[in-house]
Amino acid sequence: MPDSQEFRKGIYDCPVQNIRNLVGDIYLMRMSCPAIARSVLPGQFVNIKVNNEYVPLLRKPFSVCRRSIEEGWIEVLWKVVGKGTQTMSHFRVGDSVSVLGPLGRGFRGPASLELALLVAGGIGVAPFPFLCEVLLEQGISVEVFLGARSERELSFVEEFEDMGAKVFIATDDGSRGRKGLVTELLVERINQVGWSRNLHHFSCGPTGFLSAMIDLTESLGVEGQLSLETMMGCGFGICVGCPVETREPGPEDQLYRLTCIDGPVFDARSVILHD
Amino acid sequence: MIDLSVEIGSLRLKNPVLVASGTFGYGQEARDLVNLNALGGIITKSISPKPRDGNPPPRIVELPAGMLNSIGLANVGVEAFITDKLPFLKELDTAVIVNVAGSTPEEFLSVIRRLEEQDGIQAYELNFSCPNVKEGGLEFSQDAKVTERVTSQIRRVTNRPLITKLTPNVTRIGEIAQAAESGGADAVSLINTLVGMAVDVNSRKAKIHTVTGGYSGPAIKPVALAKVLEVARKVEVPIFGIGGIVTAEDALEFIITGASAIEIGTANYIDPATGEKMVPELISYCERNGFESIGALVGSLKAE
Repeated sequence: MPDSQEFRKGIYDCPVQNIRNLVGDIYLMRMSCPAIARSVLPGQFVNIKVNNEYVPLLRKPFSVCRRSIEEGWIEVLWKVVGKGTQTMSHFRVGDSVSVLGPLGRGFRGPASLELALLVAGGIGVAPFPFLCEVLLEQGISVEVFLGARSERELSFVEEFEDMGAKVFIATDDGSRGRKGLVTELLVERINQVGWSRNLHHFSCGPTGFLSAMIDLTESLGVEGQLSLETMMGCGFGICVGCPVETREPGPEDQLYRLTCIDGPVFDARSVILHD
Repeated sequence: MIDLSVEIGSLRLKNPVLVASGTFGYGQEARDLVNLNALGGIITKSISPKPRDGNPPPRIVELPAGMLNSIGLANVGVEAFITDKLPFLKELDTAVIVNVAGSTPEEFLSVIRRLEEQDGIQAYELNFSCPNVKEGGLEFSQDAKVTERVTSQIRRVTNRPLITKLTPNVTRIGEIAQAAESGGADAVSLINTLVGMAVDVNSRKAKIHTVTGGYSGPAIKPVALAKVLEVARKVEVPIFGIGGIVTAEDALEFIITGASAIEIGTANYIDPATGEKMVPELISYCERNGFESIGALVGSLKAE
């Protein structure tokens, strides 16, 4: 599975085809954007200008949640957390949205992967519907682990099952699935599956959750990739405002890499995260 | 045919629209998104003698109509700039202006001496918002004497046009600009960022790692305009106006106030084609208002 930008990025005015409040503060929006739909890869993102005003000033980055090449659309999934996401939740069908993309390095498929474990903390589920589809197309088995505070923060459960992925759920309050942490479910499942299959985890969610996944990578010896979220300025490598610390940089390496062009997907052993 | 050209010493820019240092990388990053040759010039990220990693995150904070940055002059250093970045820039049909940074006068000189050996560079912009470690960390352009002395030291080692970039965090920017002019600068550019701050009231920590940072974006335009006016009244050399420029109208405000050229900064993060789109609008303005050249508009601010 290729991960990087052989394709050119562009800025496109994309009409909203559909926008839905899935549950709680979580929204899914479909936009017509054939150029990005054609070229985007799982794990890449787009940078959206939510209005024509100076507040908020900067674009906001969102993983591409799903896409259809045939129908020429992309989808983004978000939780309302501030002004930008609040503004987006009021978009209507037909509104035109300025979208910059596709951006970043996405997920890479390790050779001879048999079972992919997609681990999501809350809204970190966003890039996984797209990734799940592509992995299944390649004949790789997929199991999805969704962790959330409550069932009001869970989305895409039925969609993953309909695609043919096994879904495991953990909520902090026990309102759906197991009461507890999604990482506990993951450890159990890995021990169950054992070492008979070639495993890899793909993780996305808040920084604290990703730090736990880095620790698990070390302790379980299961390789994995993290999709990071960080404050971004431009999203395409000119402001260098989104650094992530490189673990064990060699003499040729820099202390920092950029989340927007070297990531947002990084090997779980290659970065140091601070809460 | 409206004449948009601008002369800065021996440098002739095809139009007054440039992109500011630190907001356009080394030119390549935005090439999918803008026709670089439509710009009057590209000013590179600040180049220091050795590579710099930059500051720990958070390096940027978004604010209403602006942002704070504390990138920390992260750059590849002069050697890697020459090997990896300059070849692309040389192929462009737009002015290449290298912004130079240093923590001592000797560092500025060492970068410039190295760049003097290269062609494809049309001018230097001197980042005098760097802290001068020889003067207790005071920024070069916070002191008129230092500004004049270091500009003249650099003047002696190059014939290429020199643009001294000034910090606004001073009492009398007009005096600093005069000092740069006396030191031999062909032009001055202003403003660099304003010192700013933001606090997270939940963690009770500053939102940016270095506590204070540089404030930029549309919110600072009124301050920048006032500084350009102050400088225009004090110097003869051309002025590059910088500060919150997003639209052609913003650019015109600076030109009317006294800037011969402008640099677009933060706006490039939202749309790197901001400058490219502005050029035809400047032409229309001149046509509608009877100006045959953009030069005729410079400093045309009417008195009461």
